[in-house]
Amino acid sequence: MQAIFKRLLMSVAALGMSLALTMAQAEQEPTRIAAAASLRAVMDELVATYRTQHPAASLEAVYGASGSLRAQIENGAPFDLFFSADMAFPQALEAGGHAAGDVTPYAEGRLVLWSEDIDASTLTLGELADARFRRIAIANPRHAPYGARAEEALRASGLWQTLEPKLVFGENIGQALQMVHSGAANVGILALAQMHASSMRGSTFHLIDSSLHQPLENGFIITRRGGDDPTARGFADFMQSPEAQRILEAYGFSMPRGD
Amino acid sequence: MLGLTSSDWEALRLTLRLALISTGLLLVLCLPLAWWLAHTQRRIKVVIEALVALPLVLPPTVIGFYLLILLGPRGVVGGTLERLGVGHLAFTFTGLVIGSMIYSLPFVVQPLQNAFQAMGRRPLEVAATLRAGPFDRLLSVVLPLSRQGLLTAAVLSFAHTLGEFGVLLMIGGGIPGQTQVASIAIYSHVEALDYASAHRLSLFLMLVAFTLLTCIYALNRRFKVVGVMP
Amino acid sequence: MSVSGTLRLKRGDFELEAELELPERGVTALFGRSGSGKTTLLRCLAGLERGEGWLSVNGCRWQHGRHFLPVHRRPLGYVFQEASLFPHLRVRDNLRYGYRRVAAGQRRVDFDETVHLLGVEALLDRHPHALSGGQRQRVAIARALLASPRLLLMDEPMASLDAASKAEILPYLERLHTHLEIPVVYVSHALEEVARLADYLVLLEAGRVLAAGPLHELLVRSDLPLSHADNAAAVLEARVLECDAVQQVIALECGAGRLWLSHPPAPTGTPLRVSVKARDVVISLTPPQDSSVLNCLPARISEIADDPHPGHLLVRLTIGDQTLISRITREAAKRLALVVGQPVYAQLRGAALS
Repeated sequence: MQAIFKRLLMSVAALGMSLALTMAQAEQEPTRIAAAASLRAVMDELVATYRTQHPAASLEAVYGASGSLRAQIENGAPFDLFFSADMAFPQALEAGGHAAGDVTPYAEGRLVLWSEDIDASTLTLGELADARFRRIAIANPRHAPYGARAEEALRASGLWQTLEPKLVFGENIGQALQMVHSGAANVGILALAQMHASSMRGSTFHLIDSSLHQPLENGFIITRRGGDDPTARGFADFMQSPEAQRILEAYGFSMPRGD
Repeated sequence: MLGLTSSDWEALRLTLRLALISTGLLLVLCLPLAWWLAHTQRRIKVVIEALVALPLVLPPTVIGFYLLILLGPRGVVGGTLERLGVGHLAFTFTGLVIGSMIYSLPFVVQPLQNAFQAMGRRPLEVAATLRAGPFDRLLSVVLPLSRQGLLTAAVLSFAHTLGEFGVLLMIGGGIPGQTQVASIAIYSHVEALDYASAHRLSLFLMLVAFTLLTCIYALNRRFKVVGVMP
Repeated sequence: MSVSGTLRLKRGDFELEAELELPERGVTALFGRSGSGKTTLLRCLAGLERGEGWLSVNGCRWQHGRHFLPVHRRPLGYVFQEASLFPHLRVRDNLRYGYRRVAAGQRRVDFDETVHLLGVEALLDRHPHALSGGQRQRVAIARALLASPRLLLMDEPMASLDAASKAEILPYLERLHTHLEIPVVYVSHALEEVARLADYLVLLEAGRVLAAGPLHELLVRSDLPLSHADNAAAVLEARVLECDAVQQVIALECGAGRLWLSHPPAPTGTPLRVSVKARDVVISLTPPQDSSVLNCLPARISEIADDPHPGHLLVRLTIGDQTLISRITREAAKRLALVVGQPVYAQLRGAALS
């Protein structure tokens, strides 16, 4: 009886030790990138490429809405880099003292017109006034950068008044795409990057003239937490490399025009 | 008034209307379903019970996406309605009602089913032997005896609809004055960093809900009777 | 015949197949062991279960082929084993539930009279949960009567009551027996209860009717299990002859003789039912002169039958046009050389009024 008890005690001790060890390992956390959900495809490839170049580096990406990520970082989330889908969120973080350095623009997005039902490549913004387009999906202009630029483009084309009653608003550009996917919205003003997702291969779209709206600049920062992390610094440098630029372009981003 | 914009008021009005209509419809539709679930001996019952609970499993925006597919012009439901000349239901108030009903379904069916199970068949048999027809039995026996369950179901469904966001945004498209309910408006305020507006609208929504629920619970207290058949 | 029909119902292993012909008035007891199908048959009569076959009550077809009158269209009253009062209604509203649902022109009972008959006047404003078990059952019976039934069905209304509540409610049931002009079908598995209340008996066994007939006939039939039960009894119909108010004793006229019983005074001529257990009947060849047993009736042996107990015999005694049974030992029968047709004297060691 006693022998059984002793053995039990020992296995409990062993279990405790192995648990403690696991936890100690967890202390050495990887470098974490917080990235806008719309960047998922391109960021996965960027991280993979960086990993092959730096096999020793421990790096992972977490995706979410830019606004939510920003609020999480303000409140101490364990992210070392923040890639936003706009400039405003990283700028706000910098202003709040949550960044270790300036906001770096890394890419520029483009707007496209896309429809599930028809070939949108010959479509123009003006044609959206047609009765056959009953519902037009865009991201919410109030807080989603792509939505705001879509509104600017429609206003610049003098179409806003006409089209406003037909608009439906996704929480973000991803939801706007889902609305078009489902067929519930006939057409959407979406992101060029989305047209490069694997499920969208081969779809045709109309690229909206970027002079109709303010640039869709995307910026990133190294957070205060990532300031001393060599991997975070290394990935920031990698973003300037021709290799990274090539990947971004392949996913429908153009290089920032630079000011 | 109270610092709320006209579109905020519109959103609140829409929210209350949606919550009242979908709660009312749910109660009416779930009564027979819950009754059947409470009393059937069939094996298919467990499948139906699981189906009813499914809206709890999927993330709301995903439910919204599937509903959009179903109710949109290319969906089975939306497409059929379209061909009948009624028009599909995506981005309409009717679509919102359907969406919030599906989302709140388990919150209505389960309390009702529990109430009916606790009641058993006996009170209905008694009422039938006392000349009460089926509809009479529903009004004079089933509803009074399952009042607690009905109340729980109504409150849960109502409150759940007030706070619902994901499903409603997806199926409704957040069109101001048509499908932009208070929760979407609040979310939009927060996302646009307009915290002051968000706080005002949130506070007001909670105040309305609190007042309504307190009244309902107070009424329930006043009319409380023993619910078990002696 | 006011209630007649043939009903069949299959429930898993159990199969009910009953043919019924019940009299127009009085109480019919459905009697049998638990599981014999009494309650199921009663529920079929009410329409609470849908069996196959046909049923007609007072000339109205309640069930025939595909025609099935739903429960709420059948003019019946049903008293369940548990009182089953509506918990959300006060006693008054429980009573009015069925009453209100019968058109004023078709009501055959008076509200106040019924309330008085069952002694529930003082309970009208109470909630069901504030009543005792006996009170609840009285309210339930009144509620059933107030629906002006043409057939009253009672499913062991005393089974869930304690002895005190049973004693409280029995007099009310007996009052019903004399007051009601409609047939009553009463389910029971207690022989004493049946002996006190029933006029007609349907004996059920494993879902089938074993025998049916007037109570006093079936109780004493030696080919039925009733007469062999430990508490087997016969009933005698009697009439009050005279009373002794001081000693609280009454004299009854009963066919061929006279019985004395301890009982509060009752008006002369009142019909009363006396139940006499088989084990309480002693047979003697001469009228006993020196016995403490007061009641003795001249009788004639009409049958001597075997009893399941190897040492016992069951003797049927004819007294005028009524019948008693006596359980005696084989040894005693041999010693007295009892034979069928022999005139004897039946001493009643005990007799209960019902």
